[in-house]
Amino acid sequence: MSNAYDVIVIGGGHNGLVAAAYLAKAKKNVLVLERRPIVGGSVVTESFGDGFDVDSVWTGGTLRPDIIRDLKLELPASTAPTAPLSARSPFISLQSDGNHLVLDADPVKAAESIKRFSEKDAGRWGEFVRFMDKAANVLDITYATLMPRLPRNFSLEEGYGLLELGLDLRLMGRRDMLNFIRALPMTAQELVEEYFESEQLKAALASVAIHGSTLGPMSAGTGYTLIHNWLNRGGPAHVNVGRAGGITQALAEAVKACGGEIRVEAEVASIQVDMYKCKGVVLANGEEIFADTVISAADPKQTFLSLVGPMNLPPEFVWKTQSIKMRGSVAKIHLLTDEGHGIPDGTVALAPSIKYLEKAYDAAKYGEISKQPYLEVTSVPVRESAKESVVSIHFQFAPYALKHGTWTPRQAAAVERETVERLAIDILADHFVNLKSSIVNSRTITPHDLETIYGLTEGDLNHGQLMLDQFLFMRPIPGWSNHKTPIDNLYLCGSGVHGGGGVSGAAGRNVIKVLK
Amino acid sequence: MFELKRTPFHERTSKLCLPQNWRRWAGYLVAGSYELTLDREYWAIRNSAALIDVTPLMKYIIKGKDASRLLNRVVTRDMDRLKVGQVYYTGWCDEEGKLIDDGTVARLDETSYRLTSAEPNLRWLAMNAVSLDVEIREVTDSVAALSLQGPNSRAILNRAAAESVDGLKYFRLMQNKLDEIPVTISRTGYTGDLGYEIWMDAEDALRVWDRLMEAGADYGIMPVGILAMDMARVEAGLFMLEVDYTSASQAWIEPQKSSPFELGLDWTVALDKPGYFVGRRALEHEKRAGSAWKLMGLEVEWEGMERLFKEVGLPPQIPGMAVRESLPVLVGDVQVGYVSTSTWSPLLKKYIALAHLQRPYYEAGTNVRMEITVEHHRQHAAAKVVKLPFYEPEWKKK
Repeated sequence: MSNAYDVIVIGGGHNGLVAAAYLAKAKKNVLVLERRPIVGGSVVTESFGDGFDVDSVWTGGTLRPDIIRDLKLELPASTAPTAPLSARSPFISLQSDGNHLVLDADPVKAAESIKRFSEKDAGRWGEFVRFMDKAANVLDITYATLMPRLPRNFSLEEGYGLLELGLDLRLMGRRDMLNFIRALPMTAQELVEEYFESEQLKAALASVAIHGSTLGPMSAGTGYTLIHNWLNRGGPAHVNVGRAGGITQALAEAVKACGGEIRVEAEVASIQVDMYKCKGVVLANGEEIFADTVISAADPKQTFLSLVGPMNLPPEFVWKTQSIKMRGSVAKIHLLTDEGHGIPDGTVALAPSIKYLEKAYDAAKYGEISKQPYLEVTSVPVRESAKESVVSIHFQFAPYALKHGTWTPRQAAAVERETVERLAIDILADHFVNLKSSIVNSRTITPHDLETIYGLTEGDLNHGQLMLDQFLFMRPIPGWSNHKTPIDNLYLCGSGVHGGGGVSGAAGRNVIKVLK
Repeated sequence: MFELKRTPFHERTSKLCLPQNWRRWAGYLVAGSYELTLDREYWAIRNSAALIDVTPLMKYIIKGKDASRLLNRVVTRDMDRLKVGQVYYTGWCDEEGKLIDDGTVARLDETSYRLTSAEPNLRWLAMNAVSLDVEIREVTDSVAALSLQGPNSRAILNRAAAESVDGLKYFRLMQNKLDEIPVTISRTGYTGDLGYEIWMDAEDALRVWDRLMEAGADYGIMPVGILAMDMARVEAGLFMLEVDYTSASQAWIEPQKSSPFELGLDWTVALDKPGYFVGRRALEHEKRAGSAWKLMGLEVEWEGMERLFKEVGLPPQIPGMAVRESLPVLVGDVQVGYVSTSTWSPLLKKYIALAHLQRPYYEAGTNVRMEITVEHHRQHAAAKVVKLPFYEPEWKKK
């Protein structure tokens, strides 16, 4: 085994693997270093030793179609954003009377369900979907455009990309362009209220906006996160749920097929910097590996504050990196169940009203676990045609920073962990009476687990909150939005940079453009 | 209501400051001069001994396992070479290699240092201390400081202090006692003469003052204000923040900023020290590419000045103190720089100035013209570019 490479990629999550696959395809001698025994990062399907496979963190994902095409990935057709409507699973918003709102991927079918809540809303659904699809498309193009390093730098080269983006924006048509720009800073509540009157539909959409963010539907900028999640899911529902790890497994295969190397259980302890040039990495076991280029798919805080170290970085940069808002507040509860829990297929949300969601978020503001949380539930058979299935519950809000109590694995932490698990099961059991009796086993992942096991600082699924002051040229921090860092030959490609957030691979793809 | 702070010596200085010539310095009130003209105070610095209250200097104690790592990261000099009991003069820069401030770093023991600066730097120090095991404490108010400058300063200290300062070398410090009062004495100053700075607890300030005045009586000691020091520091080629350069953290526009190279501090930029320090990359680049500006001395030709004044029927008018006014410097009719401080040097009998000059006009020997005002009319006096300092007595370092 050689210990010098063209490129080292730190972190074998989806973005790291996308970058590595592109590089391997370009005949670069590339090495991916993954801390865990399995690649995938937070897009992983794994067993916790009790035999049942779980989508630990992300329950689904849609790599950008150009990535699938470029890398010739063999993914189930239904996980592509271009999947036919008939192959997609629905979004189901639970109602206490059992009269659930079902948003089918087919707008006509969805309108039928909406009609039960509001005739008027049903009539506007098609228009809303068209706008959201258009807005998501422009966001997709934005995410493929390198941002200028404002306010530090603005080169002509960087300007061209923006010109193209401006043109695409204009091609939306004057009205949609203005609506798009206007939607970004709006609250999700305001945005959906411009279209709809029924609380059930508005809340269902608002839940998509706040999914994964520590924001409520009345927070500014949730118009943007609604479009962002719409883009990354291909609509309100995950295009397909379960087996998200298949995405990263396919990417790992693509890396290896092109001659790239992947090492698991290879934790990077530090990025080696000589003056301000990156030389390689040192692993936790002391092994030194050299490379001309190092790309970190870890989040910016982890990359700079712990791997590079503040002493190797300019003070203003350190200060700004420290100020990146992470603030994770998601817990995951996985239940192994026998048949008969009664939870339908698809993306099932507990989001009865906008106020309910906002109150769930209020708890997070004060460092408390939501007593009445927003839940998103998916259930997947443990294996094909098996009766048993895994019910995965996305629990919001369980803030990383608790005012009372602690997530750290001590006595007290067990209490918090059980609180979240019990709350999730109890609340869900109100809707599915057979759920409790169907549970065979359970496993809860706290925000602290997300940090320690999956390397997500403060348990933030997006490597930095998707907020208006942390997007476009301000992601990860102003002046450093185009994957470059103050260290020569060190680049970022994780979710924490522009294009990142969610499971799209855009950040991993984009970094290739700045590597020269 | 906003009120300027009074130094621990105010009890004495306020009774001595007969012309009520008070100046502001870093939020403190200090004596500009103790007499109506500066002559006697200036000559005390150069001929006998001057006692100057320099308490307003910002002072920081930097202490802990990583104290030298923090300083090595912040300042441009190599802190690994600074021995216990030694003092370094140094500047520190922002990431673009532009000077933020300058001052001295004294190594008090293995893991503690005292940093002085002109402007507050606590936030900057804290920002640079992320992940370091170090304590940063501002002690500006609790540590009083006196500067004893002039050829007689050594004899006075030897008379006043418990231990002789004969062995105290230039830019070294020692612990000593004056009347049983523990003090730190460093052989440093801002006049370019033989001189010392005495650091003490603020509570002991008056007793130290009295002891020095008493011991110095036979040696011509005089309380001296900061205006006479201002003349002396120009002769010594020493520049001042916010007068001769603008801090990178205060500048409105890029051209207002200066690099250490541009201010002639090449010797303080240790590009041979290991690892990153703030501004290193930009400084390396400037070192290779050369500097666009340089701080040099200017000597105004007396005959030319005399002629200009003679035309209006006057003898040459010279300011009685250092002038902190920007004056254009020209070659032909093209402006090639500016003077930031100018003064009459009573000792050299020359009109001298600190000038910022553009390449290639900063070479010593270049003939330039400096703007002077003759009876309300702008005129230009011939001047020559010279190396700094203007004045360096052999006893400064001996």
